[in-house]
Amino acid sequence: MMSKLSLNNVAYKYEGTKKNVLKGVSATFEAGKIYAIVGKSGSGKSTLLSLIAGLDICTSGKILHDGEDLKTIDRDVYRAKKIGVIFQSFNLITNATAVQNIILSMNISGSPENDKKQFTYDLLQRIGIDRETAARKILKLSGGEQQRVGIARALSHNPNIIIADEPTGNLDTETEDDILKILTILAHDEGKCVIIVTHSKKVSSIADEIWGMKDGKITRV
Amino acid sequence: MYIIYNAFQNIGRNISRNILLASIVFAIIATTLVALMITNTSNRIIDEYKGQFGIEVTIERNTQTFVDMRQRGEASMGITITNEQYIAFADSNLLQRSVIMNGTLVYSETVTAIGQTGELTTGHGYAIAPTMQLQGNNWDDFKNGHRVLLPGGVMPSRINESIISEGLAELNGISVGDTIRLYGVVMEQAAAMGFVPAVYNLVITGIYFCVAESVSTWGSTTLIRQNEILTVAETMPGAQVIARYYLYHPSDLEAFEQELRVKGLHPIFDVNTDEHLYNAIVGPVEGMRGIVMTFMVVVFILGAIILILLSSIAIRERKYEIGVLRAMGMKKAKVALGLWFEMVIITAFCLIIGIFAGSLAAQPISNRLLVQQAENVQNIQDNLFVGRDLGSFSRVVNDDPIIEIPVSLGIYTLLQLILISLFLASLAAFAAISKITKYEPIKILMERN
Repeated sequence: MMSKLSLNNVAYKYEGTKKNVLKGVSATFEAGKIYAIVGKSGSGKSTLLSLIAGLDICTSGKILHDGEDLKTIDRDVYRAKKIGVIFQSFNLITNATAVQNIILSMNISGSPENDKKQFTYDLLQRIGIDRETAARKILKLSGGEQQRVGIARALSHNPNIIIADEPTGNLDTETEDDILKILTILAHDEGKCVIIVTHSKKVSSIADEIWGMKDGKITRV
Repeated sequence: MYIIYNAFQNIGRNISRNILLASIVFAIIATTLVALMITNTSNRIIDEYKGQFGIEVTIERNTQTFVDMRQRGEASMGITITNEQYIAFADSNLLQRSVIMNGTLVYSETVTAIGQTGELTTGHGYAIAPTMQLQGNNWDDFKNGHRVLLPGGVMPSRINESIISEGLAELNGISVGDTIRLYGVVMEQAAAMGFVPAVYNLVITGIYFCVAESVSTWGSTTLIRQNEILTVAETMPGAQVIARYYLYHPSDLEAFEQELRVKGLHPIFDVNTDEHLYNAIVGPVEGMRGIVMTFMVVVFILGAIILILLSSIAIRERKYEIGVLRAMGMKKAKVALGLWFEMVIITAFCLIIGIFAGSLAAQPISNRLLVQQAENVQNIQDNLFVGRDLGSFSRVVNDDPIIEIPVSLGIYTLLQLILISLFLASLAAFAAISKITKYEPIKILMERN
């Protein structure tokens, strides 16, 4: 199985601080598996996720995507095409509709789809958003609906790596189950590498591998 | 392409904020358009005025300078400007045009001048006082409509042909084809020494009508315009040359004076322009142009500052949106381009409305400002009729101050406005762009979360 993402001795500290938030983190994430990164608040989970998502760069060490160091590649292109991020707080454009959010993401990634609108409706329907809901502004959607839109957006450009930060943190149990089912399908049926940062035991229960974070260090559980 | 599409959508999504931005842009554009329309039309009118009339130069003896120089032994009584000098002065690139004329004071035993009471008399040192003027090549009044040749006559083209005023013709029963005899003036002392007056036998080829009358008939009858008999310069070969020089612009005066000094003009002569006349006619337009331009600059600067501030504040509200776009992988340049497009679209919309509103407002504003400016130069206007000393030609300047200009929107103005608007849009967009490009997406999203 091809290695998708490798972290080699990654360290990170915030600008203007001396303390390393991440200390020599090394891990490998492969396609077709679900990875859960668990740990207490402040352990460095979200920071690690930001680095993997290409939203920031590590202070030392390397994060390799298909062998290429994120420090040397165009991280805008990496974010637009290679990975899909599902944020805990959704991070959608709130005064745009669900469809507009997803089409915009497709446009940014340079999606070759001819009929983006139809593709978006199909994608949203697949994760449980009907046409009427899809045409509503994000602010008019429930938390669960917003998270589904967030997932649809992460999938819209067909990335090989899906990163999810507490994807069910704001959701009810029923919706949580739906979301976890979707993530499982993405990894096991569609061969994507799914990395989930979570506190939830329920979420980590669907993972093929669980990594624990403590004081900026990572260990396989 | 999607960036433009997204820009359109963003404008609709943030409608309240964009209406506020658009209001300011509209105000600036409309004001700028009014200012540009008035300024460009004013420039055209001033240029036309210069092209049509030029700025007349006057060369006058300065008595005080003469006295001072005489006391120092640097000037003598006989200093004058020769006919050759007058002609040489006309050869200058600074002049829009020049008119070389000649003239002499005359009297007649058979032609009674208008305003002449009684018989010919002596006076002012003359053996016989002049009653009329004989002028050579003074055709300007016919070009600018101050005199009109009546039907049945032709302009003089040969020696000893002349035209007279309708008043003079009626008073003396003179018709086209008649011949009149005039005498040049001789000073008393010269007459005593045996000098005889020059005799001019003139065939009347036409009768002219004076559109512009003399201001008054007080004083010598030679100052009355209807007593001017017009002929070709060659009729009076020895007569005093009278030259009129017209500069392109009053600012050329100093350079022209230097030229004249080099050509031998004595320091006792002052070289001036009829700038007061120029100011009286064009002054209101120039004054209005100055006011409008100042107003435009103030509005533009204040508007631009407000726009920059508003744009900076607005972009802070959109910081999260920008963070999301950047997190999705949109490049900074594309984010910036999107913001620029938004501003350009808003500006284009304001441009259309602004052109409509500005075009409607320009004429009334221009009229109002011009009337105010015209009032300011009213005193100067009172002196528009310029009477001259004996021996020189009377002039009529009936060009009233310009109190209305037909303000219009031309292609040039439109292009200027589009460029200014584009600059404005770019300025506002740049203010926003410079703010957002400072932030990394992770920081924006973390702040919000």
